[in-house]
Amino acid sequence: MIVNAIFSIAKKEIMDNIRNLWIIIMSVIFALFALVFSYFGSSFGASPELGFQSFAFTIASMMISVVLLIPIIGLMLGYAAILGEIEKGSMSSLLSYSVSRIEVILGKFIGLGCVLFLSILIGFGVAGIIIAANISNPNYGNYLLFIVASVLLGFVFLSLAMLLSSILKKRSAAIGGVVFLWFFFAMILPIVVGSIELPTDWIYGVNLLNPISTYSEIISMSMLLEFLESVDINQMYPPNYNIWLLLSTIAWIAIPLLLAILTFKRRDI
Amino acid sequence: MTVKTIKCPKCKNEITVSGKPGEKTQIICPKCSSKGTFTFPKENSKSKTITDSFTIEVNNLTKSYNNFKAVDNVSFNVKSGEIFGFLGPNGAGKTTTIKSILGLINANSGEIKINGFDIKKRGKEAKKYIGYLPEKIAFYDNLTALQNLHFYAEMKNIPKEECKPLIEEMGIGNEVNKKVGKFSKGMQQRLGMARALLGNPPILILDEPSGGLDPRGVALIRNKIKEMKDKGSTVFVSSHILAEVQEVCDRVGIIDKGVIVAEDSVSKLSVKLNLKPKLIIELEKISEKIVESVKKVEGVEKVEAIGVMIHITCNQKAKSKIIISVEKAGGDIVNIQTKEPSLEEVFMRFTES
Repeated sequence: MIVNAIFSIAKKEIMDNIRNLWIIIMSVIFALFALVFSYFGSSFGASPELGFQSFAFTIASMMISVVLLIPIIGLMLGYAAILGEIEKGSMSSLLSYSVSRIEVILGKFIGLGCVLFLSILIGFGVAGIIIAANISNPNYGNYLLFIVASVLLGFVFLSLAMLLSSILKKRSAAIGGVVFLWFFFAMILPIVVGSIELPTDWIYGVNLLNPISTYSEIISMSMLLEFLESVDINQMYPPNYNIWLLLSTIAWIAIPLLLAILTFKRRDI
Repeated sequence: MTVKTIKCPKCKNEITVSGKPGEKTQIICPKCSSKGTFTFPKENSKSKTITDSFTIEVNNLTKSYNNFKAVDNVSFNVKSGEIFGFLGPNGAGKTTTIKSILGLINANSGEIKINGFDIKKRGKEAKKYIGYLPEKIAFYDNLTALQNLHFYAEMKNIPKEECKPLIEEMGIGNEVNKKVGKFSKGMQQRLGMARALLGNPPILILDEPSGGLDPRGVALIRNKIKEMKDKGSTVFVSSHILAEVQEVCDRVGIIDKGVIVAEDSVSKLSVKLNLKPKLIIELEKISEKIVESVKKVEGVEKVEAIGVMIHITCNQKAKSKIIISVEKAGGDIVNIQTKEPSLEEVFMRFTES
C-alpha cells in the first residue's frame, strides 16, 4: 500500500508535467544550451572557431551557466508542490485518503525528481548524441558524469524547494524564498567564500557546504582527470575527496527532504 | 456496510471492497486487471440499522490557535449507521472539529477514534473507511472530471471503472471529459460528492454538502445521504441549512463558541427545551366562544386568533382535546395543521448568546 500511494502521487506529478509541456520545454532548453555552448563556445577566444567541440570543452564552457540554470529549475518545480495544494484546498481531500504525509512528500519528490531527471537526460542526452556524431573520440564517461551530477544538483534544489513549500504558508513568500535560496547559493556564498582568504584545505571543506560548489568540484575533478592524464588526483585534493563530495550531495538532498517531512507532519491543513 | 481487504490471487495486490452482507461484487484488480467475484459473508443479525456501537468517537478534543480556543474540550459520539447532523453558527468550530476527525489538524489534546482506530496513531487504517466532502471543494483543474476521479480511485485502490457511473449518478455525466477548471461551483460540488462516494465508504463525512447547489442538486445530495444510510453507512453531515438537516438526521450535535451545547435527536432536544408543538386550526368562521373554550383546555399554553385561524401552543396530549372543544363550541373546522418544534427553534435556543 505504501508503494501504491507514493507511486500514484509520483505518477500524477509526472503526467501533470507532461500535459503542461514542462518536460519538453526544459528538455529543449537543456539541449539548446549544450549545443550552443558546444558549437559557439570557442568563437570568442584568441583564435575564434565555429563548430562542435569535445565533451570536456562543452562542459567547461557551459558550467558557469548550468550552475545557475539547474538550481532555478529545481526550485521552480518544487516550491508549490505542497503549499500550492494546501492553498487551493486539494491537500485536505488528498490527506483524507488512506495516505500518510510522508508518502505525499516522497511521492511528490519522486515524481518531480523524475520530471527533472527526464528533462536533463533527454535535453543533454540528445545534445550529446549530436555532438558525439560531429567530433572525434568522444569521452562518453565525462559527459555521463556531467549528466548524473547535474541531475543530483537538480535534486538538491528540488529538495530545498520542498522544504520551503512545507514550511511557508503563502505562495508569494515561497517565491521570495526561491529567489533568496538561489541568490544565496549561486551568488552570495561563492562571493563571500571567494573574498575571504582561507587555507586551501579549508576551501575544500567550505565547498562541501554549498551544493553548487560541490557540483563544480565534481565536474572539475573529472575534467582534470581527462586533461592531465598523468596527474595524481590524490595529491591535488584531500584524501577521498570524491567520496566526501558525493556524501555532501546526498546529505543536501536528504536533510532538507527529511526536514520537509517533519514540518509537513506537524502542519495544520 | 462491511469492509473487506482481499488479496488478488494473481498479483497479491491488496484491494479494499465494501458492500452489504451477502452482496456479490465484481472486482477488477487495479494493478493486474484480473477480474473476479467476491461475496460478502452473511451476517446472522437482522438488517443493520443504528447500533449502539460508535463509528466516530471524539473525546475531550481541544484545539487552540494562538490564544483562541477554536474547539474547547469537545466530546461526542456518532453511532454506527446513523445520520448525525453537526450544527453551529459560523466560526463555532465545525470545520476545525471535522478536520481534527480526519487528522488534518493536530489537536492540542483529546482523542479521536474512527471505527476504533486512533486517528493520530493509526491514521491510515482509520481513513480507509472514510469518504470526505470538504467545505472548500478543490480538484486538479488541469485534469478532466474523470481523470480526477481516476486519481482518487487509485489512491483508494479501487477499480477505475467505478468512477464514470458515479459521475453520471451525480448528474454531470455529460461533463466527464471536461476539465474541472471550467466547472461551475455547483458542478464541482456534485463531483466532490462523487469523489466522497468512491468505493461505497462505510463512513461519509460531509462538510456543508449543499454549498453552491441549486434546489435540484440539494435534493440529489439529500437522496444520496439517505441512500448511503440505507446501505448501512454512517453519515456525519455539517450544514447550516437546518430544515435539510432536520429532514435527514437521526441525531444532531450543536456546537457554539467551540463547545458542544447539545447532542440528541431533535424531538428529545425539543422536550429538553420544553418546546411545544403548534396546532393551527382553520375554521369556517371564528368566534370569541371558540377561542375561550380552547384556552380552557388543559395543556394549552398560548392561543392566538389570526383571521379565521387559531394558532395554539400546547403539549402533545392536548391536541385531540382541543379539536373536540372547538367542535363543541360550534366551530366548523376546515383544516388542521400541526407544526412540530423545528430544528431552527432548537438551534436558536442553544446558540443564543
